[in-house]
Amino acid sequence: MASYRLTEEGEEYLKNGLPEKNLVEILNTYPQKSSTIGKVMLKVKNFPIALKWALDKQWVMKRGSEIILLKPPFETEEEVALREISEGGDVEENILNVLIGRNLVQKITETYKKTEESLTKAGNVIEELNHDIILTGLWKGRKFKSIDVEVVKKKLDKKIVPGKRQPYDYFLMQVRKKLVEMGFKEMVGPTIEMEFWNFDALYQPQNHPARGWTSTYSLKYPKFGSLPSEKIVSRVKAAHENGWKTGSTGWKYSWSAKKASQLIPRAHDTAITPRYMTEGIEIPGRYFNMVRCYRPDVIDATHGVEFIQTGGIVVAKGLNFKHMLGLLKQFAYDIAGVNEIKFFTDYYPFTEPSVQISGKHQQLGWIELAGAGIFRPELTEPLGINEPVLAWGFGIDRLAMNKLKINDIRELFSRNLKWLRIQGE
Amino acid sequence: MPTIEVSHSDLCSLIGKKISIDELKQHILFAKAEVDDVKGDLIKIDSKDTNRPDLWSAEGIARELKGRLTKDRGMPKYKIEKSNLVVNVDKKVSKVRPLTVCAIAKNLKMNKVILSQLIQLQEKVAGTFGSGRKEVAIGVYDFSRIKPPIQYTTVGLDKKFVPLDFEEEMAIKEILEKHPKGMEFKHLVDGLKEIPIFVDSAGEVLSIPPIINSNFTGKVTEETKEVFIECSGFDFKFLVPALNVLVAALIDRGAKVESVKVVYPDKVIYTPDMTPKKASVDVDFVNEISGLKLSSKDVVGLLEQARYEVTKVKGKNIEVLYPAYRQDIMHPRDVVEDAIISFGYNKIEPELIRFKTKGEINKQEVLAERVIEKMIGLGFQEILSYTLTNKDNLFKRMDLKEEKVVEIENPVSLNWNVFRSWLLPSLMEFYSNNQHVEYPQKIFEIGDVVLIDEKQETKARDVRKMAATIADSKVDYYDILAVLDEFMNSQRKKYKLRKVKHSSFIEGRVAEIFVENKVVGIIGEMHPQVLENWKLEMPIAAFEIELL
Repeated sequence: MASYRLTEEGEEYLKNGLPEKNLVEILNTYPQKSSTIGKVMLKVKNFPIALKWALDKQWVMKRGSEIILLKPPFETEEEVALREISEGGDVEENILNVLIGRNLVQKITETYKKTEESLTKAGNVIEELNHDIILTGLWKGRKFKSIDVEVVKKKLDKKIVPGKRQPYDYFLMQVRKKLVEMGFKEMVGPTIEMEFWNFDALYQPQNHPARGWTSTYSLKYPKFGSLPSEKIVSRVKAAHENGWKTGSTGWKYSWSAKKASQLIPRAHDTAITPRYMTEGIEIPGRYFNMVRCYRPDVIDATHGVEFIQTGGIVVAKGLNFKHMLGLLKQFAYDIAGVNEIKFFTDYYPFTEPSVQISGKHQQLGWIELAGAGIFRPELTEPLGINEPVLAWGFGIDRLAMNKLKINDIRELFSRNLKWLRIQGE
Repeated sequence: MPTIEVSHSDLCSLIGKKISIDELKQHILFAKAEVDDVKGDLIKIDSKDTNRPDLWSAEGIARELKGRLTKDRGMPKYKIEKSNLVVNVDKKVSKVRPLTVCAIAKNLKMNKVILSQLIQLQEKVAGTFGSGRKEVAIGVYDFSRIKPPIQYTTVGLDKKFVPLDFEEEMAIKEILEKHPKGMEFKHLVDGLKEIPIFVDSAGEVLSIPPIINSNFTGKVTEETKEVFIECSGFDFKFLVPALNVLVAALIDRGAKVESVKVVYPDKVIYTPDMTPKKASVDVDFVNEISGLKLSSKDVVGLLEQARYEVTKVKGKNIEVLYPAYRQDIMHPRDVVEDAIISFGYNKIEPELIRFKTKGEINKQEVLAERVIEKMIGLGFQEILSYTLTNKDNLFKRMDLKEEKVVEIENPVSLNWNVFRSWLLPSLMEFYSNNQHVEYPQKIFEIGDVVLIDEKQETKARDVRKMAATIADSKVDYYDILAVLDEFMNSQRKKYKLRKVKHSSFIEGRVAEIFVENKVVGIIGEMHPQVLENWKLEMPIAAFEIELL
């Protein structure tokens, strides 16, 4: 036989009577056998329940705000059943269902039995609150075992394994957001690129040492890409060979289309710019990129297998070298967070004049921050740009390394999960 | 970027003025260089202009500083006398290393410092400007040991002579295999049956360019009083400036330089030719580029400091001459930079760019940012890996058949010689480094993979992907599917799964992920064989998906 027990509410009603019974008993004491709701409401516990059941059972009727007794109080079958159940006796199924429906009685389940048993075994002290204890309500009237709540300094055997951002990736995103605040639009380009866009369109001569076997990767496969429109190719060729219409002598050599069509992994971030310039950029405009670059450097603490470069351009009529310095100064202050700067002479095959900026960093002392310059006309004019283009490249690796307190550039792409879990953002 | 060493005291004596290291650090900007390190009298200098070999020596740096710091301005003059030395160029060299330009320098007052500067300059010019001796090989010889005339011809590989710093005769083929310089530069003569050689009238070998000098004539010491210099290569465009740079440095040291008659089968030239070159620049153009407000007089002064000789000022047009050791001036712009350098970069007031533009993160990165946030919310640790890897990682360890991938021809290391074509190997490799770190290990990476795509103009295509994995003592398909499902819901993407075979995963526990009837990824439990290949001891459930 399934056994049943009274719920807390059931126990209370057994002790103090059903609320509807209490209501009619009070009404019964009034000479008029009736009362206003307001008057009786405070005298009966659980008045809304009492009224609902008294009305349902047609013990009372309601007229306006008045409640009128229809039937004198008598012992109800619910009360009898509650007493019976509390004493472990049986009751009829229909009344049992009413009591279960009113949540006055519940079935004693296996869970209840098990939970009660184990709590008894534990000396009725709750060691760990769980679903069953809450469900059965068996926590009521029992004590909880105290635990060492000041455990912090000891080794916790429970730990959160967090998911965090890769710190270098996060750093890059912060820089990206700063650049966007400064009005820069992000450019992207393919990892595998033709030498044409990597070098030729940037007016870097084909015999330049930076284009040699030891400075640039070449590919075993695939080998050659297809050059852009004849119009652009012939202008770039002319710029290299004789300066085209730019008033330059050019590099004075015989330019090879085959060499230009060779595919290489992007060797520097500036490779992205000439494609954009050719396809048409907004003038005035600010553009940046943040991309992986590849060079066959000997791998050590300062040279990774691959690295991320950030650079870009500002283009507008009337820009000059003073603006170039102004831009670099802004980067140094806003991105690198230095407050003392120095400019150095510099050289890039594609800029003239060229400049480098160093900044006095709190921890690192004087560090090189960025290289920059105004694009040569031999570069811009063949691509259809006649306004000055200020180009810059920012050395963010070093700043990131300082921020993350690492000395080896390879750790920017850390393989150390422990470190990432601690250091991550 | 060539790095050179100079002596502080020597540099000061060349400038003719004592300057401190601190002053030098500031003024060396005029020579487009930076002081890298100072050890006693020795200064290590980074020269930044790869197109100005004239600046890669104490003499060259001194020239620039002199113009700015002393009254010694305008163009330095280089007088060349004629000698009666003849160098005959055999037509046989036309196929191997066709050109040479030569000079003689007498009255040398060699000492240790001057000799080391000469050797350093020769090495830097041939190495950096001459692309590792390919475009320019330079030989400097004790002229007193040479019996003119000299012949530039070719010789078979059995020819024997005593190479520099050796005592015994060696055949050329032996030199190429055993001599340090032979080994270093033999790739420049690879496949040649006859290689170029300079010999004198007595049959004495001077050198086999671009490999090595002979020990007899090709040894220059502090006792050497006169030298013969030759530069050999393929293009006068490189050879002439290379020779002129050396000649200018020697003349700066007080040498008397004489020209040599170089007789080619079809022409005769006299080298070196130190005739200055012409250029002109407009003052308005200087101001347009610099943003400065300079007068003609200002510009003339600045150019004279930069060692130009102003020959004519007509209104705002300034005509100049510049020394023959410079070959970098292609456009009036190059002259402008020299004027700005004379003005001083740090004396220019930087100006803020005023116009407004609207910034924008590339949409791929915007998406990445959103996905990263989502994955971190799901308790996954972000990792970042190199896109370069190797075929073992991509295929063998993943128990896959090798496929064509973008491959580097000249890798620095065989560990990094192909581009990854999928992300999961990067994550497996990461796990293999973190076996003993607390589990569960939930990681993810967003990154590009590079796929061969013949339809693209670059024959390859970047695909932005995400991979996420869980490693734990107990983990299965449904654990990772729950992540994929939540991820797809958050991206508002409807997806379907279809059973597939993939040897990296356990059969029957792997599916392809479809979005709009297109396969966008794969999900499953990694095969224990793959785990074993990576030496992993915990099961891993994974998915990899294109980010669209």
